Parts: sequence; structure tokens; C-alpha cells
Amino acid sequence: MAEVIGKIQRATNVPKRLIVISAVLLLILFVFPLVAGSFQTNLMAKLLLFGTLAVSLDLVWGFTGILSFAHGVFFTLGGYAMAYYLKLNLSASANTYGVALPDFMVWNGLKELPWFIAPLQFFPIAAIAMIAIPAGFAYIIGWFIFRSKVSGVYITIITLAISSALTTFFVSQQAFTGGTNGITDVSKLSFFGIVVPQLGLYYIILFFTAFVIAGSWWLTQSNFGLILRSVKENEQRISYLGYDVASFKIFIWTLSAGIAGIAGGLFVPLNRFISPVYLAVAFGTQIVIWVAVGGRGTLFGPVIAAILLGQLQNSVDRVTQDWQLIVGIILLAVVLFLPNGLMSLLPKKFRFTEINRIVLPRGSSSTAGFVRVELFDWYTPLVRLIQSVRSKR
Amino acid sequence: MIPHTISIDHPIASIANSIIYLAQSPTVKEFDLISFANQLLNGLGIVGILLLTGLGLAITFGVMRIINLAHGEFIMLGAYTTFVLQSTFKMDLLLTIPFSFLFTAIVGAIVELTIIRRLYGRPLETLLATWGLSIVLQGVVKLIFTAQLKYVKAPPYIRGNWTLFEAGGQAVQISIYRLFIILMALLLLALTAYLLYGTPLGREVRAVTQNRDMAKCLGVNTSLVDMATFAYGCGLAGVAGTVISSLKSVAPPMGQDYLVDAWMTVVTGGVDRLIGVLAGAFLIGQSNAALAYLLNDPTARVIVLAAVIVLIRYRPEGLFTVQKRG
Repeated sequence: MAEVIGKIQRATNVPKRLIVISAVLLLILFVFPLVAGSFQTNLMAKLLLFGTLAVSLDLVWGFTGILSFAHGVFFTLGGYAMAYYLKLNLSASANTYGVALPDFMVWNGLKELPWFIAPLQFFPIAAIAMIAIPAGFAYIIGWFIFRSKVSGVYITIITLAISSALTTFFVSQQAFTGGTNGITDVSKLSFFGIVVPQLGLYYIILFFTAFVIAGSWWLTQSNFGLILRSVKENEQRISYLGYDVASFKIFIWTLSAGIAGIAGGLFVPLNRFISPVYLAVAFGTQIVIWVAVGGRGTLFGPVIAAILLGQLQNSVDRVTQDWQLIVGIILLAVVLFLPNGLMSLLPKKFRFTEINRIVLPRGSSSTAGFVRVELFDWYTPLVRLIQSVRSKR
Repeated sequence: MIPHTISIDHPIASIANSIIYLAQSPTVKEFDLISFANQLLNGLGIVGILLLTGLGLAITFGVMRIINLAHGEFIMLGAYTTFVLQSTFKMDLLLTIPFSFLFTAIVGAIVELTIIRRLYGRPLETLLATWGLSIVLQGVVKLIFTAQLKYVKAPPYIRGNWTLFEAGGQAVQISIYRLFIILMALLLLALTAYLLYGTPLGREVRAVTQNRDMAKCLGVNTSLVDMATFAYGCGLAGVAGTVISSLKSVAPPMGQDYLVDAWMTVVTGGVDRLIGVLAGAFLIGQSNAALAYLLNDPTARVIVLAAVIVLIRYRPEGLFTVQKRG
């Protein structure tokens, strides 16, 4: 066993302790549905998805320093893409109107499927759309705001405005989006004729969560991640070193939106509906709260916070209606007394994301780190390659 | 009908195209001068509300650089103060204004002393803390008054409509209450401008915002000035709450409706000068009303918000700030 761990450690450069802890956590979550009831399984799957969503925000906020209230928007865009697919694939018997048109479109007087929704009835297109639409939208926004003088707080205000504007838009386009109710009564998730049972959905979500955390870990521990942290610490200095800060920001922003989109897409078959509630500022702040409470830049913190707060809400809801008040108090307490979140309560040897163990050689100063970044940077060459291809065309 | 023929080589243009495509409402109204004039007067009412709600924010953000996401909740507190005074003492709406100013200012001072003070110079933390505060305030109000909607009555002398002129059975009218709102907003703006630029306290406030350490060296009690400024900004929000309370019902989440709009107003106009708030409110309010007349309400809101985003992109400091040479 120890040998296996040692091998993994040498191959992936992940600290031994972290391998053991994540393996144990994964095992617990793996047997969880066999022990808990279907309600708890469902809740856990939901919280894992919210946790993943929080990790995607952590990538941009915790590591790059961009606070966004718009991650609920990316989540919901992915969710709508999947919801259209699931809605359009209801069998004719389940569809009250017997036509290949969702009920809310019939109610709103549409005669045929709009051209921009029609392709979503095929699974591969819906699956791609669930990533591509939020990522594409994020790319446009990112290109727009990061290539300008817009700084920290104003970016946050822009994300607030985006969230607010899109909520209004989705509510107003009732014929296409189902208005305030959103898309309800969707079918179970199925692709290529295979219906995924609830337990299968749980495992898909668990796998996705584990994959996102592992991928984010790898990304943030790489030289790319080091540059992201440097952007957070001192944007000006990193740009003086010759890095195009804006393209790094756009990249991580788009990537994180893509992750949020997949989380949204998986959320719909679990939740059985999607509505503009998840677009609104309130849900966007909910994600921010998970990250803030769990700890910025810790990757595990946001997931743990989402699960803890979710379970807490589940038990508090039976006693009192004022769950929101408790959330507010927790958030205030964390910001005032625990600025680095719950993860900072752990003893130092368990806080894995804090020190960059792989890139920085022992005892090196930050300058050495930057030099090594220059040597092992894979991102800038990639950008140059893309640029050269583009200029040839 | 707006033709959607903007070229698609620009990403923003393609978004605009699809928005325009989706926005084309099946019933495009005929252009009619009377109803358009009515709509513009209606827009004046929106301008008044934006100005009122944005003014407090202009103090807390523009002068103190505090990101106050609990601003909407201070508006809500003002509205509830009016409700309480009106239901227990049968007080006139106008009479409750000083009380709601005082109450929200006191709450604001307490908040500054306990929370904001610890977070100066950390804008994102302040933002989070005030968001937490806004949830707590909503929760506390809900505990006390329940989530039920409350109603506040406007006094009879500011109800009804005022007809400007009539032509062919149609009339150009403005509701007196809207007129009251905009007058109130202008009055508060003038008062704030006087306090900020015409009194010793205002001079101290400006000194602290320009160079805190230097002001301290010169004997200004900076922490007192901070508290007073924040309390004043919150008090203005409270007045806004009172004035708004009789337009719609009073409920714990009502502040959220005004938060984003107030932010957009302040950011559009520019945060350095008070006149920016007036300009921002006017620009947003009137373009909203005009677009709502041509298209429809939600579309107007989406377009205005999108326009503000574009504006922040090119002029992050707002329209009416003198650009520094770089």
C-alpha cells in the first residue's frame, strides 16, 4: 500500500498526506449512497455539484483575485442547455400535447421549435452546448473586461449587472425559456438510449467532482497556477516580466465558466428543473459565500463549505424558517474573524494549497520561482502558436 | 422594427444582434407623441428614484470608497421606520422622513463602528461583509415583522395627477408623487453638496478621502469623520426608503430591487463628483423610459444594463470624471 502511494507520489508530485486523505474521502463518498437513503444521496449529489461550482469560482477568485457574482449565470446557461435536451426528449406519452414541442412553448403560442433550440434535442450537441455556451459567453465577457482598465471592484459590479440583466432577460422571454418557472418536468438523463438511474447520476457527479478538484489542483500547482497567483499578488509586476496578464485571466475565466456549465448541466437531471432563480444575484452570492466560508484558494475548502452549509440548512430547515439569517451571521463572522475561511483552522501540515511545493525549489526566493516560470512556462508558447496561426490566415 | 443588420465580426455585435432578434415584440406600437411625452415624464419618476437611491451610495462609495452591498437594506430600514411610525402614531409620511434618516444613520454608525472600521483598505472583504450584513438585516426584519407585505399611505396632498396639457382627448400627465420624488431627490442632492463643499465638516471629509494620513497629522479626527460620513450615506438611503415606501409594498427583500440600479447610477455618472449621480440617474432613467416605450420594459432594462457595462469598460471612472492623463 505504502509502495503504491509512493509510486503515485513520484508520478504526480502530490503530497503523500493529500493522496491518503483524498483516497479516504473518495471512498467514504463512494459507499455513501449504499449507506444513506435516496434522499440523502440526492442531497449529497446536489451539494457535490454546488461544491464543484464553488471550486470553479475559487479558481478565478481564490487564485487569480477576480471576484465574480456571475458564476450562477454560467451554471444556469449550462443547465438550460441540458434542460432543453431533457425536455425535448420526453416521450410523446409524457408530453401532454403530444407534439415535439415543450409545454411552455405551446402555452406561449409558439408553433414550431425555434431554430436555436432545435439542435439541442441531440445529446452530443447538448453536451457540447452545455460547456460551449457558458464558456463562450464567459470568453466574450472576459475578452471585454480584462483587456481594459477595468479593475477589481468594477469587475465585480459588472458581474452583478450581468446577473441582473440576464435574469430579467430570461424571465421576459417566456416563450423560449419558460419565464419565471423555467423548464420543469424534464425527463431522466439518458444518452444514446440508455437511461441513467439515480445512483448512476450520483457516481457521474462524484467522478466529475473528483476530476475537477484533481484537475484544478494540477493546474494551480503548475507553473501556470504560479502565474495566476502572481497576478493576484501583484498584477503590475507580472506584466512587467512580459506576461500578457489579460490572456491568462481570460483563459482561467473561460475555463471556470466551462466547469460551472457542466455542473449546471448535471444539476438539471438531478433537480428536475432549472429556473432563473439560479441566474439571480442571490444564487451568485451563495457561491461566493461557499468560497469565502471554505477558504479562498484552497480548492477543498469551498467543497467542504458547500457540503457543510447544505447539510446544516437541511437540518435547520426543520426547526426554523430563518436559514438565511444564519448564513448571514456565518458569513459576517468568517469575514471578520476568519479571513482565510474554515480551512485556515486546520493545522498547517494539512493546508496543501498554501505553499507551492512543486515549482519552488526548497529555500528559493520568489525571484527564483519567476525564473523557473520563464523556463517551464507552457502557456505563453501556446498563445504565441495560436497567434501565429491566426496571423497566417 | 429595428433591423438586425449589425455586422457579426464583432462579438459584442453578435450578442446585440441576438438580443435584438429576441426582443422584437409581436406588437410594435405606433409612435405617438402624447404617449411618448407621458413616457418621458414617467422616466422622470425613475430618475427621481435612481437619484434618491444612488445618492447614499455616492457618499459611501464615491467619497469613502466603501463597497456597500447592504445599501438596499438601509433603504428597506427607512421604509420600515415609516411603516412603524405610520401604523402606531398615524404620522404623516413627510413627518417620518427625519425619523427614518436618524434611525438609519444610527444603524449605519453602529455598523461602521463594529464592521466597516476593521476592513478599510480591503475592498473585497468590505463587499463580502456588507453582503453578510444585508442578509442579517433582512433576516432580523423578517423575524420582527414577518415576511408579510406592509403598506404605507401617501398623504392626500401628494396624490393624484397633474395635467400639463390636453389635446384631442389625450392628456400629458405626471403623477404628483413622482414630482415629489424628484423634488425630494434634488433637494437632498443640493443639501449633500452644500454639506460636502460648503461646511467645515465637508472640508474635513474631503481631506480625509484625499489623504487620510495627512489629515490625521493636521488634527482631523479621521475615525469620527469616517463614522459621520458613513452614517450620513445610510441616512440618505433611509430617506429614499421612506419616499419609496408608498410606491410599492414594504417587505424585507425590497432593498434588493434597488441595489443593482443604485450601483449602476453611481458608476455611470462617475464617483468623484456628486453631479455625476444626477447625470447617471438622468441618463439611465430616461433611456430606460424611452427604450421601454419603443420595445418593452424587460428589454429596455437589459439594453440599459448592457450599455452601462460597455460604459464601465471604456470609462471605468464614469462619464463625468475628468480623465487623468496617463
